[in-house]
Amino acid sequence: MSEQQHTQAVLLEWIRSQLSGFGDLEDKVLTIPAGQVSLLYIKSVTDGQAISRNIIAPFYEMGHPAAYYSYVADYPGSEEVTDGQRALDLLLSGYACIGREGKLCCFDVLRAEASSIKETITESISQGPSDALGESLAVNLNLVRRRYLSSALKMEFTVIGNVSKTKVAILYDESRVNHQVLAELKEKLDSLKLDILQAAGELEKYISSDKLRIFPKTIVTERPDRVVFNLAEGKVAVLLDTTGYAIVLPSIFNDFFTAMDDKIHLPFVGRFLKLLRILGVAMTLWLPALYIAFTSYNPEIVRVQIALLIGGSRATVPYPSFVEVILMMIMMEFLTEASLRLPRAIGPTATTVGGLILGQAATAAGLIGNIMIILVSVVAISNFLVPLNMMSFSIRVLKYFFVIAAAVLGLVGVVICLVGFTLYLCSQRSFGQPYFRMFALDVLGADQRKKSGGQ
Amino acid sequence: MAKNRYFYCLFVMNTLINILNFTPRELIDARFDGAQSSILVAVAVGTLFIYLFTRVIHKFPGQGLPEIFGSALPKLLASPLIFVYAVLWYMAGTLILLSFVDITLRFISPDTGPYAIMFGFLAVVCLCSRIDSLSLLYGLEVTLGITIPLILYTIVKAIINPDFSWDAVLEVMTHSLHAPDLNSIAAATFTFSGYINMAVFNRVFHGLKLKHLWILSLEGFLMLLITFFVPIGYHGTVGIERHVYTWFSTADSIRIEAFLIERMLYVFYFACITLSLVSAIIQWHVGKELLLSLLPSPSGKPKTKLLQELVILVLFASGALALMRLDQYNLNMLGVFLQHIRWYGEMLMIGLLFWCYWVVRGRRE
Repeated sequence: MSEQQHTQAVLLEWIRSQLSGFGDLEDKVLTIPAGQVSLLYIKSVTDGQAISRNIIAPFYEMGHPAAYYSYVADYPGSEEVTDGQRALDLLLSGYACIGREGKLCCFDVLRAEASSIKETITESISQGPSDALGESLAVNLNLVRRRYLSSALKMEFTVIGNVSKTKVAILYDESRVNHQVLAELKEKLDSLKLDILQAAGELEKYISSDKLRIFPKTIVTERPDRVVFNLAEGKVAVLLDTTGYAIVLPSIFNDFFTAMDDKIHLPFVGRFLKLLRILGVAMTLWLPALYIAFTSYNPEIVRVQIALLIGGSRATVPYPSFVEVILMMIMMEFLTEASLRLPRAIGPTATTVGGLILGQAATAAGLIGNIMIILVSVVAISNFLVPLNMMSFSIRVLKYFFVIAAAVLGLVGVVICLVGFTLYLCSQRSFGQPYFRMFALDVLGADQRKKSGGQ
Repeated sequence: MAKNRYFYCLFVMNTLINILNFTPRELIDARFDGAQSSILVAVAVGTLFIYLFTRVIHKFPGQGLPEIFGSALPKLLASPLIFVYAVLWYMAGTLILLSFVDITLRFISPDTGPYAIMFGFLAVVCLCSRIDSLSLLYGLEVTLGITIPLILYTIVKAIINPDFSWDAVLEVMTHSLHAPDLNSIAAATFTFSGYINMAVFNRVFHGLKLKHLWILSLEGFLMLLITFFVPIGYHGTVGIERHVYTWFSTADSIRIEAFLIERMLYVFYFACITLSLVSAIIQWHVGKELLLSLLPSPSGKPKTKLLQELVILVLFASGALALMRLDQYNLNMLGVFLQHIRWYGEMLMIGLLFWCYWVVRGRRE
């Protein structure tokens, strides 16, 4: 036995010992008169048909082990390995190991069970493409590539997670990307120490350095067209295997208010829709706080008719407006959460019970003012105008800060909160990019900015 | 790096908050004794100051006052100067807060205690003055975007009101030929002193180039005229002297016929308080940065810097709380006094900067 054959045998022996206890480990020696090769694979992650068609059948047809081995080694996606750990990793990720005369080659026969391409659920739009990213990285890359036919679109692969070994693809347009952002992202990904990585949102959490942040700094999207749109704007997309979402970064405040059909609509309609969203956010943040300020602190601010109307509707309410607002808003949150989790069959119950009992009975009993009910529904509805879920959730939480400030200081509290959050937003950076600025002015100078490069 | 437009933002911020209290009151006190000519002098002097300052600061790209003084002046002279300037900035910010506590109590919520309001202000100002300079400029720009339309609306609404007494304005105009008065000049130049914050903010500007200086000067002039004449048109030539916060009383006299909010006061108050809070944040930020430059800064120890910042801000806050014992009259006296000191301080700073430039250039050759 030569030296080489010896190493191969040792290597295979080591792999076998590592994989002892694997019930689905297939360990075979294929023999023909001219010689033999050893074949090793794990059944549950490999495609049986591909193995019989691409590995076993050719061996017996060719009748020549050396020629067969070079066929296997040259096959696209194959890899010759000399390191046991590497071979083991490949085996676990759906390769078959073929060994002959001291050489070991890993052959890609991965069977990936993933759902087929579905329609978007969380980011639906009225017109435009409706395919969502799936759970398989290969399919997702295909979805993106097909929409971005440029040689400048580069992909880099890396693996994250000691146990899950999640494949991560970094996509960017080489000619447009900000290389500082790219370098920062790679540095962060390299320094990650995780066992399991399963969702894009999880990765988003790990690559944002600020632990106490309220606003999302990266978009987590399920729309391939959004990924492509952002790639063309010079952003970086991170795609994960086994999850139907991509991360787009750097993302600034404004990006979270862009729906993908803004581009499809007529210019004025698109602008109007965007204005509507910003108005919605303003309403959902301020209305409850202003209600408290107007009823408990400064009823003289609004017209006397309105003040009397609100006062009249609150005539029977036995507690201060702060309690009323908090009570109703918490109720509304309960309803939202419950209707999200409930099985579809009993989903309508929650809405009926919530709508009827909270809406009708609570006012009839005099616990809640009529105006409060209207206000709560406006707040609830306008909250969902934000196209991206993560931002929508942030704003849902944020309004309580305003409510508390208004409860403590009235109108002054609302103003203090407004100034504080404006400056907080301005102080944020997403991968070095300013998060919040006066966008209108920047759009005017956009052409100039592109020439000078950045900021 | 910051674009040049942020310099205009700093300038506009000051022209707008000068409406608040000290400037209109000083000018109106001297309405028969040379306020009008003082405004003209202030416009000329203010424009000259801006011109000189931007010329000299252009020679120090990316440097703040501590770096410039540190490189050109002996340490024994530079450190006390920086300290005095820091205190000046701190006082400017504090005065804004103090007068706004008073205004809030008087016009908006008399039920809330003054200390509750002050604590609210201090919370946001202390937290936000720790933000880096560039972000503060972004924030200032956004705030201006919100408030300028409201303030413009107030002004337009004020002027087109049919009950606006142009006779009173004309009557005061007849007293224009009077020698200018130092108090009024000092107060009126405050309109133009927004540039002075560049002492620290120049760190994020790389080679500030100022175009269209005349726009700044025109804007300042118009704002001064409005500040001075509109309250007179509402309260009359003599009646005006009975109001402490003239512009708030003026805004309270305006009615919005077709909106949810009927009294202009609240719109105006909202705009003013937003802008003033940001302005106070910026002043404290400058004061804090100047003080920080005096303390030793061990590199690579963010905790020490955080501690230093906290100590400075706690000192700032407790100083502001202590000053709350001043009554309205003393607060006004302090304000007038500070207007003077600020004006002389500006002159001194421009002179020193030219001196520094001369020293640095001499060293280079």
